[in-house]
Amino acid sequence: MEDLAQPILNGILLGGLYAVIAIGLSTMFGIVKFVNLAHGDLMILGSFLSLVLVSWLGINPFWTILIVVPVMYFVGFIIQVFLLNRVLGKGLEPPLIVAFGLSIILQNILLLIFTPDARSLMTPLAVKTIPVGEFLNIPAVYLVDFLAGGAVICCLYYFFQRTYMGRAIRAASDDEVAAQLMGVNTRNIYAKAMGIAMMTAGVAGVLVGTTFTFYPHTGPQYLITAFGVIVIAGFGSMKGTFVGGLILALSQILGAHFIGPGYQLLSGYVVLLIVLAVRPQGLFGTV
Amino acid sequence: MGKLLYKSRFYVLGLLVLGLATVPVWGTDYLVLFFLLFCLYLAMSQMWNLLIGYSGLLSLGQQAFIGLAGYTVAVMCNYYGVYIWLSVFLGGLFSAILALFMSLFIFRMKWVYFGIGTWIFAEALLLWFSNWEYVKYGMGLFIKPTPPPSMTEIYYGSFFMGVGSVVLVYGILRSKLGLGLMAMRDDEEVSETMGVEVFRSKLYCFLIAAFMTGLSAGVLYVFQIFIQPYKAFAIDWTVKLVFIVIIGGIGTIEGPIVGAFIYVLLSQWLAEYVSVSMLILGAIAIAVILLAPKGIMGTLQEKLGFEILSPRRK
Repeated sequence: MEDLAQPILNGILLGGLYAVIAIGLSTMFGIVKFVNLAHGDLMILGSFLSLVLVSWLGINPFWTILIVVPVMYFVGFIIQVFLLNRVLGKGLEPPLIVAFGLSIILQNILLLIFTPDARSLMTPLAVKTIPVGEFLNIPAVYLVDFLAGGAVICCLYYFFQRTYMGRAIRAASDDEVAAQLMGVNTRNIYAKAMGIAMMTAGVAGVLVGTTFTFYPHTGPQYLITAFGVIVIAGFGSMKGTFVGGLILALSQILGAHFIGPGYQLLSGYVVLLIVLAVRPQGLFGTV
Repeated sequence: MGKLLYKSRFYVLGLLVLGLATVPVWGTDYLVLFFLLFCLYLAMSQMWNLLIGYSGLLSLGQQAFIGLAGYTVAVMCNYYGVYIWLSVFLGGLFSAILALFMSLFIFRMKWVYFGIGTWIFAEALLLWFSNWEYVKYGMGLFIKPTPPPSMTEIYYGSFFMGVGSVVLVYGILRSKLGLGLMAMRDDEEVSETMGVEVFRSKLYCFLIAAFMTGLSAGVLYVFQIFIQPYKAFAIDWTVKLVFIVIIGGIGTIEGPIVGAFIYVLLSQWLAEYVSVSMLILGAIAIAVILLAPKGIMGTLQEKLGFEILSPRRK
């Protein structure tokens, strides 16, 4: 039991990070019924943005969140206004293809600027652990990831439930025509929603950067992680996203523990496929 | 102009096929290479087009079939000394079997879920192969057929795939299956009530596409000689196929022909700057979707008022 406690603890903490990676994708799907295939790459864009700021200003990566998050809001807003809003309502393929194209463009621009080298955001926390009891050690970065992930999801939940703007976004997504008749500019609302989704991607990007190494082409890998979380949870459920993150991360870490480190991602996918086959709408989803 | 073109369309096509068939006779080595790649990308993108344009299946996991077929060729050739073209055929067969297995899981899913489901399968295969000692982990395998096929032989393999894929899709669309597929594309629920077997038609298309994609990939790996999991199972394959079909025109038989030509031209021209050529392709694809969503051939067909290879009977 003692040697199982550490992987389970790591899995739970990592789950918080997975949830924050997924929450932006889930939000956009909930509001615009649009799967942003560029989500992972936009998140990695956040990581590189933070990297640039760290090397310019020489500050702790966590402070760069203050700049990365607003910048990502505008990135999201602009993408929605100039690209995605123009293909809304033209069927299912066009928005997907635009996002797919965007993903490839981002990857290759990052590749041209930053070369394919591995990068990471160094923090003093990276090597620290917090001992708990005799056997357990909490990696400090993972703990930060978990707490930040929980905080982001709580903030988002509060935003959508309590604020005027959040309610307006939900109204526009519930019934677009009715919202338009009431004088709501739904396109503008969608752009703001995309901006907010990208803010969460910005936070996720900085957290991923401080926890793992990243490359210009790691975006799709995190897109699949995010998608896995959402598929396990069921689309559109915020609390579900958190639990989905925990399940995916736990199945990965436990898979690595029992079978071997090479099988970490694979065991996550297997659990995912089982959920898909048994309960396609996800654990918390309704059909 | 349009009428003349319409009447002579089969002569023009015949000449093109004849030209393509005789490239090794009149062309330089470089041209042979160019049209070899063109034919293979044509075959693979034509299959993706069959899936998305006619069956409404958004597959983002074509690389699963490409990688599996490539590895089948490598393993059969190297470990069991199977004749090279037989192992290519086996690659196609295994791809179709994989597709059948995948369908157990993913055929309940719709649209994007389906796409990501196929993608996850491909990623799982990537991880599996890069952790598998039998295929030397991520180091990859050199394909060493005895006797090694000549360049002309490989060229005709790919020519057969390229032309074969167009003929096959044309044939499917003019058959009963194709009629059902086009009805499904226009309105799935109505077509189902009219007696189209939606599930079965989709499954047939998925299996055919997997088989043909596997065969083409097998020929490609006979040409490329070296296979490695990170390249063979990479999402890049599907990215290329998506761009080829989008630029050429989704749901048209001629689209992938034009798209594949543009893709190979661009990738050869910018062969040393892969990321630049992908960047340009991505930008073209977005521009096409925003400005002319039907792609080059779809837009041209509207202007000319006829389809060169019409799946409809007059």
